[in-house]
Amino acid sequence: MIILLLFLVILFFPKNAYAYLDPGTGSYIFQFVIAIILGLIFSLKLFWKKIVRTFLRLLKGKQRADEK
Amino acid sequence: MKNNFASGSFRDPAGFIFFSKGIAYRQVNNSYKEDWDLFIKSGLYKDLIKNRLIIKHKELKLKTKDPLCYKILQPDQIPFVSYPYEWSFSQIKDAALTTLEILKMALLHGMVLKDASAYNIQFIGGKLILIDTLSFTKYIEGEPWIAYRQFCQHFLAPLALISFKDYRLNLLTKSYIDGIPLDLVSSLLPMNSRFNFSLFTHIFMHAKSQKLFAKRAVLRRKVSRFGIESIISSLESLVRNLKWENEISEWGDYYSQTNYSQHSFNNKKEIVSRMLAKTKQNIIWDIGANTGVFSEIASQNAKQVISFDNDPATIEKNYLRVKRKEFKNILPLVIDLTSPSPSLGWQNEERMSLLERGPADIALALALIHHLAISNNLPFRKIASFFAKISNNLIIEFVPKSDSQAQRLLATREDIFNQYDEENFEKSFLEFFTILERHPIKSSKRVIYKMAKN
Repeated sequence: MIILLLFLVILFFPKNAYAYLDPGTGSYIFQFVIAIILGLIFSLKLFWKKIVRTFLRLLKGKQRADEK
Repeated sequence: MKNNFASGSFRDPAGFIFFSKGIAYRQVNNSYKEDWDLFIKSGLYKDLIKNRLIIKHKELKLKTKDPLCYKILQPDQIPFVSYPYEWSFSQIKDAALTTLEILKMALLHGMVLKDASAYNIQFIGGKLILIDTLSFTKYIEGEPWIAYRQFCQHFLAPLALISFKDYRLNLLTKSYIDGIPLDLVSSLLPMNSRFNFSLFTHIFMHAKSQKLFAKRAVLRRKVSRFGIESIISSLESLVRNLKWENEISEWGDYYSQTNYSQHSFNNKKEIVSRMLAKTKQNIIWDIGANTGVFSEIASQNAKQVISFDNDPATIEKNYLRVKRKEFKNILPLVIDLTSPSPSLGWQNEERMSLLERGPADIALALALIHHLAISNNLPFRKIASFFAKISNNLIIEFVPKSDSQAQRLLATREDIFNQYDEENFEKSFLEFFTILERHPIKSSKRVIYKMAKN
């Protein structure tokens, strides 16, 4: 995992001078990397929730239809 | 207006707190004008107030001579300031979740939290409240969350250390005023914590990346709003899922272990309520409160009760009980009386010591004297002088040496306490206090005193 993330870091951030670096720089830059990965996970989570919701709605609809 | 600047309020150029005649005020500086106006006009302040997430303030018309001054606010006064190194696990967890809730609300209004300091959250009236009104700044599309590192150091670090290792590691927050460094947290956490993906990301990888980028210049990229929301969502579920499974503490089941019969315990409750009932107090400190049975009694006669104990597991129980029963005026805190919180930070003035936060109108010291005198070798005179510093009135229980709990403390050590008797106890306390009432507890050898400071 570390290797994968570091690979991503190197891939996305070529060496390039950028202003003055304060001690929080690492945390700041780190977010560029994790935003992509966590964004992907978050999308899947939202997508999964949507599927479950749709499935439950369909199931309820079917139950109601059966009751009638 | 003659002002005293609050010694802990200097980091943020947006403004500061000052005191005049004992009342706290906040100055908003001109440099923060744009953000302040957005904070009010966007409806964020109104929504935070509606959800009881931020301290209320009145905007005063008066101005100071300071050319930097934009506005003067008078925030609601905080009855008692507590610090993260005095909180139990669930208190830190609730403070973390409150911070994220506030951040989400800010984003909805086009703003973001620029600070995620645990010191900005306080327990007021049974709620967790953000006390730094100047913590918000305009959200700029593409910018990462500026306070991400602070959130991880102030909240995630102690929560992970308690959850995976030991509560006592929370005391590191005393040494590191801006949160526990993540490389230190990484080295202290056990191997199995690395299998938690979110923890691995926000602590281990985060620490590695801090080191990696410390000396490396890089090109700045953008973080989308969705990216920020994903980070918040990940932090939120991580915090929610962290648990502290503490063993039953040494004194956690104290009430079921005492030599009291139900009859004498009820009698003790009656005596204490009678002693407290006579006047309504502002603030009561229940010292050695255990799970807070007597704090609950005291809460009926005080605006605020602070419920101290040195055992984090009992304070955890106490806090969860206070939360479940929705007691608005009891605040449980982990405090070791033999070494109470010192003053900390720049010039030792940023965080107040426990004694600076007193004195209490009444201190309750029930079933405590034998711990101080026998376990900590403290002479009665020193104990009496300490209580005279922290309280104006005292309700104290004397536990004789023959009591089974005192015997338990003496079981494994030599009895060097020749002076430990009721006569010497009274003599020492009379140097500082006047004894107002004395009530022996029925079917027990213990006695409860009510005293007023001389």
